Order: sequence, then C-alpha cells, then structure tokens
Amino acid sequence: MDAIYVENVTKKYGDNEVLRGVNLRIGEGEFYSLMGPNGSGKTTLVSIMASVRSPTSGRIEIYGREPEQVKELIGYVPQENFTSPALTGRENLMYFARLLGHPRRNAEKMVDNILDKIGLSEDVDKRVSHYSGGMRKRLEVATALFPGTKILILDEPTTGLDPSARRKFFGLIQDVKEEKTTVMLITHIGADAELASRVGLIDRGEIIAEDEPERLKTASGLKDVINIETTIKSERVATKLGNFSEGQKVLETDVGYRVYCEDVEKAIPDIVRSLDAIGCKATRIETVRPSLEDVFFKLTERTVREVS
Amino acid sequence: MGQITATFGKTIKEFTRAKPVLFWTIAWPILWVLIGSYSFGGNAPTSVIPYLRGSIAISMMTFALMTAGIANLPGNIAQDRERGLLPKLMSMPIKPWRDFVGRILGLLAFSSFAVVLVAVVGYACGARFSSTMIGAWQSIGFFLVVLLASAGIGMIIGTFIRNVHGAIMTGVGISVVTASLSGVMAPYSSLPTLLQGFARVYPISSGNSSITYLLVGEDFAGYNPLSVGQTASTIMMSFLIFVVGLIVYSRWCWRKG
Repeated sequence: MDAIYVENVTKKYGDNEVLRGVNLRIGEGEFYSLMGPNGSGKTTLVSIMASVRSPTSGRIEIYGREPEQVKELIGYVPQENFTSPALTGRENLMYFARLLGHPRRNAEKMVDNILDKIGLSEDVDKRVSHYSGGMRKRLEVATALFPGTKILILDEPTTGLDPSARRKFFGLIQDVKEEKTTVMLITHIGADAELASRVGLIDRGEIIAEDEPERLKTASGLKDVINIETTIKSERVATKLGNFSEGQKVLETDVGYRVYCEDVEKAIPDIVRSLDAIGCKATRIETVRPSLEDVFFKLTERTVREVS
Repeated sequence: MGQITATFGKTIKEFTRAKPVLFWTIAWPILWVLIGSYSFGGNAPTSVIPYLRGSIAISMMTFALMTAGIANLPGNIAQDRERGLLPKLMSMPIKPWRDFVGRILGLLAFSSFAVVLVAVVGYACGARFSSTMIGAWQSIGFFLVVLLASAGIGMIIGTFIRNVHGAIMTGVGISVVTASLSGVMAPYSSLPTLLQGFARVYPISSGNSSITYLLVGEDFAGYNPLSVGQTASTIMMSFLIFVVGLIVYSRWCWRKG
C-alpha cells in the first residue's frame, strides 16, 4: 500500500487554478522531494495532504484513508517558524506532546529523547527567541517526531539556513529516514532535492517530471554545464552568454550565469574573450555536472528560485 | 484534557512573558489607580474618599479585564496565525473547541491575577468596599460577565485582523475608547444622555456599574444596574457577544482553505 496516494487533485481559488490534476504515489519509507518555484502549487498540495486545505476535486489517501482520518500518522512542518519564541525549547515540545494526548510523565520522557536526537539537549531551557534559525527549524521538525508519526512533511525547511545548519538539518532527516518514516520534502533548492530518493518537479500546478535525481538529469539530455561568476550581471551579459548556450538560454544565478553547451572545453576561452569585449570579467569559471535546477530550467525555461 | 491544559499553559506563559501584555493589563490599570486615588476627589467629604477610590479601583479592574480580552486575546490569536501555528494545529488530531477552552481559561487565570493585583494596590491606596458576602460573590459573577464580553470582542478582532500589531492596537483602541464613552473611566452621571444609553447596553460598562453598585453603592454607579431588566440585558448581551465571537473564531480561524 502507498503511504501517500494522490489522484487527479485540483485546487482553484476563484479563477486561479493552483493545482491541475496532480497524480502522485509515494511508498512507505521513501524520501520524496517536490521541487518547484514559488507559486507552483507545492505548498498547496502538501497542505491538502496535511488536512489544512481541501482539494477542489480529486482524491488523496494516506495509507488508504482520507488525510482527515489519519492525522496522527502525519507530522506536518509548515514553512513558517510556528514555535513560540516566548517558550523554551522544552516547553514548546511539551505543548505539542500534550496536544497529541500524551500524559505528562510520558511526554517528559519523549521530549527528552527527542531533544537528544535533534541535538538540542543543552539548549532546552533557553527561550526559542534566543535560538538560531537552524536550531529553531530542528525544534520544529521535532514537533513532528513523536511516536506514531509515519509520514513527515517538511515545507521548505532549509529556507534561510546557512550551509552548516543545512547539513545538520539533513543529518537529522537521515536519522528519521532510517526509522522507516516516509519523508516528503518541499523545496526550491536543487541541492536539497538531490538528497531524496525520488524527485517530482512541479510547475504551474502540474508535475512535469518525476524520477530519481540522477535519472532526471540523464533524461534531460544535459551534459556538463559552465558555471560562471561575473563582475556584473546585466541583460547584455546574458545575451552575450546566450550565444554559447543551447536555445540561447542561460540560467542566472546569485553570482553569475550557467551556460549549457555541447563542447564546454572549446567554449570557455571564447566565453572569456566575449565577456572581456563588453567589459565584464569572469571571476570564476568552472565546468560542473548539471543540477536539478538546471533540469528544471531546461524543461520550463524558468528558474526554480529567485536570484538575489 | 491534555489539549486544554497544554493550551492553557502556553497562553499563560505567553501572556506573562510579554512586556506589552503586562504593561496594558497590569501596569497601566495600577498606574491609573495610583493617579486616580491621589488626584480625584479633592473636594469630596473625607468619609466618601475611600469609596471613591474603591470605584476607581473597580473601574481599573474592569479595564484590566477589557484589555486582557479585547487586546491580549486577539494579539495571541493573530500571533499564532501569523507564525503558522494554526495550520500546524489544523494538521494535528486535536479539537478546535479544546484549543478555544484552553485559551479562555488561560485568559481567565491571567486576568484574575491582574484584577487581584489592581485590587490589592487599590486597597493599599485607601480604597474601601462595603458589601455582603453575597454581594461579593455577585460581583465576581459580573467580573466574569465583563470577561465573557471582552473575550467575545477579542475573538472577533483576532479572527479578522490578521496582523499581530494591528490586532493588539485595535483591541487597545476599542478598550480605551469604549471605556471612556461608556462610563468605565468616567462617572456615569457626567455622560450625555446618548452615551448613558450606550453605557447601559454595553455589557462591559453595565457590568462595571453592577460591580460598583454591589461593592461601593448606588451613588458611585450613577443608576441602579441591578434591576431585573438591566441585569438580564447585561448578562444576555455579554453571552451574545461571546457566542458571536466563538462562532466567528471557530468558523473562520479554523476553516480549511
């Protein structure tokens, strides 16, 4: 039996169709990532799974039953920092444990175990307002780790976390996964999605591709990618680089561009010369393997995340 | 029961750890008890002054209940929604009514604490009350009536004003304005006729008048708020506002999108 079964789910807000016939099957113990840009419908989809919203049409089953009937199996971690900053880490977890109906003594033991697992034992009595972003997010995941949770739904958990906090966070998810918990990760960060065993790419309310990360990359036909850091970013620079890229499309990144071409070794000297000619320096240029963000760009000609 | 006690505990902790909540619910009424006790009633006979101070303390106890229900409660609701706690709660196997009961009990405990503190400060400032035991119990009942109406208004504000600061400031504004217009912060007799009518209909002010009548006498209440019709009106209006607030809160705050 599938842990999560989604059949032809649609969601409309007035004339705005946020989900357009989404189908999805996720097996027990699977680590599935749904990747897409803001507004693609991924949060709407998981909030329907978590009984926070209702679908306009279609069907969702969690272990063969309606989500509303099996809420105790789902640990939903919304995108926002929902823990109370006025309470300590322990008080926050006790609040959720008691909400779930665990008697006080059992709850205290469970909370101590969970705090140990998430590496916050030394900070349990600090108020959450003094926690870093990474600590707070781990605490929020902990609210979904009480015994009985079989499906963990994480909505953009690493947004705003520094690289070190992200690594620690995924270390925690790795531990959870080993306990046969099904994990569904919502993200717009390719590197995060690649940690999953299977990835669904969602755009404008539709799942446009779904497979294991490496197979998605292979199927996209993308070869190596030229990653360029430039001193300036402008329409002119993008157009210039587009001359070297498939379909004249380049992906803008935080620090420059990514160029897709057949023969990267041959193209690099020409790219450097071409940029020099318009007064733009390439401060770093390297050949990298395509990422899931590249795959998404190839399929949609749109970026998954907004660049700064 | 665990859900109710969990929400109760969280509400109490959040209230007692938030400086603006402590200021508006405890410090501000106490400040006014201090100012009022030593500023007003200069020409009044000495025998009357302790009861005048008693009526000021009662007004400030009512005001403490008003701010707890009309400003703190919606601020708490808006905060929970703004930081995404409500979606999280909706995803859990919990009953909305238990969350509601926990919040209201937390509000009751916190505001009772505030009322006792204001009463103690008032007493220390020379406020005196004269009542029978039955009158004292009846006045506690009217304090609850005031709290019910305040919580009802607070739930409506918290449901519709989604921004935390917006909810709190709206609550504070409504508390201050209605307290001023309805005679909670000014003698009933000094109000124009139209506002005297409002003071009798608005359950918070008529509840305040009832408590004043019971604890310090009719002279300070300005009219007899304990007539059958007026008492029924006070209690019914209070319950009506509370029930409307409860319906609005449970239908809109916990509604699936």
